[in-house]
Amino acid sequence: MKSRRIYIGISMVLRALVRRKIVFILMLVIPAVFLGVVEFTTSERILPFRLASLDEETFIEISEKRISFIFFAVASAGFLVAFLALNLIQKGRGVNKRLVICGYHPLELLIAILGALAFMIVGIALYIGLLTHTFYPVEHLPAFIFSLMLIGLVYGCYGLAAGSLIRGELEGILLIVLLVNIDVGWLQNPLFYAEAQNQIIIRFLPAYYPAQSAIITSFTDYSPASANIYSIGYGAIFLLISMLIFFHEMRVKS
Amino acid sequence: MLLTARHISKSFGRKHVLRDISFELQAGSLYGIVGENGSGKSTLLKIIVGAWEADSGTISLNGKLGYCPQEALLFPLLTVAEHFRYFAAAYGIPKDIMKKRADHLLDHFNFKKYEKEKVANLSGGTQQKLNLTLALLPEPDLLVLDEPYNGFDWDTYLRFWEYTGQLRQQGCAVLVVTHLLSERERFDRIYDLKNGQLM
Repeated sequence: MKSRRIYIGISMVLRALVRRKIVFILMLVIPAVFLGVVEFTTSERILPFRLASLDEETFIEISEKRISFIFFAVASAGFLVAFLALNLIQKGRGVNKRLVICGYHPLELLIAILGALAFMIVGIALYIGLLTHTFYPVEHLPAFIFSLMLIGLVYGCYGLAAGSLIRGELEGILLIVLLVNIDVGWLQNPLFYAEAQNQIIIRFLPAYYPAQSAIITSFTDYSPASANIYSIGYGAIFLLISMLIFFHEMRVKS
Repeated sequence: MLLTARHISKSFGRKHVLRDISFELQAGSLYGIVGENGSGKSTLLKIIVGAWEADSGTISLNGKLGYCPQEALLFPLLTVAEHFRYFAAAYGIPKDIMKKRADHLLDHFNFKKYEKEKVANLSGGTQQKLNLTLALLPEPDLLVLDEPYNGFDWDTYLRFWEYTGQLRQQGCAVLVVTHLLSERERFDRIYDLKNGQLM
């Protein structure tokens, strides 16, 4: 493995990414639209709910508007990163294989893609975190931004796995939109979760721990460490799956 | 021998695309493989360069490989110069040597003026020039070309043969796959791929 190859790989992946103007328009517009919709449509009604990842007796009371801001922030971060990751893998499939035939190791290419994705995750989390904070101040902003990075990690790795597995762009986007909507946008929302049946199923969905971390850091002084560790674990599982599929796709008989 | 293929077979489902194909390519030789659309030419080349696996048989390659795929496999939003840099990293070519070789190739194939241009803004013919020159960048010992002059104008076509002639003098073996072959006298040997077999 050569560091020069990885450095050039990251640089080229980022260049190709930043030259896609639509990517930046989406990155700026989607969170702003989501949070704007929350601002104009939700009420200040106070809702009591239990923090699922903490002990059974931990209840907090938050307004519908505040909790909605957090969930739309988490949903938009998850969707954007998953979409970017899907694109990174799908768009360069053929030419990446050519690079491997020419001498790149698939691991060097994957590290380059992950490095570029990490830049984007940090950028998206910072932007959405600060934007959310301007709409409605969160309790612990740096920790909240970190929780957005975690949803980026989990859904970024999910996007990589989906992009490696599915060749069609439309099918890939559909898979991402469906899971983000059902998982982050619906099931993890405490407004739904509090009264949901079979909560154990919801706990196994990818956004559960990052969403819990986002709530804990936004509204309480409790430690999000446990939720953060589980989030990283979940991201690692998706990363492993995407790595295996990527290596299978990029294998070259020497 | 720079390339030895022994008893290569490949099927897709019930369709036998390649049946027990064997051939050799020695230094300085130029071989052509012709065949109708869908005859399995590109499949054979993909197996030779390692992109696909044969169902049976062996491939033995010696020396540096240059491979030009039929479809221009390029990054639409990277420039021509960035492609040379990216592929030079893949081949393990140092930056100063890469610059010299890239300049030479850009001059020879007459597209230096597009060096800073993104691939998406190039014509099909210029994209094909880049597709080909990326295979030439490592100064290969074995050059495997799949329909390399598709979309070339006459001048570029002649420059292509001039360049491959120089490579052959240096000992490079060249394998060209095409569905149309107009100048058979350029080749040392031409195979016809029919019913999965080389004739």
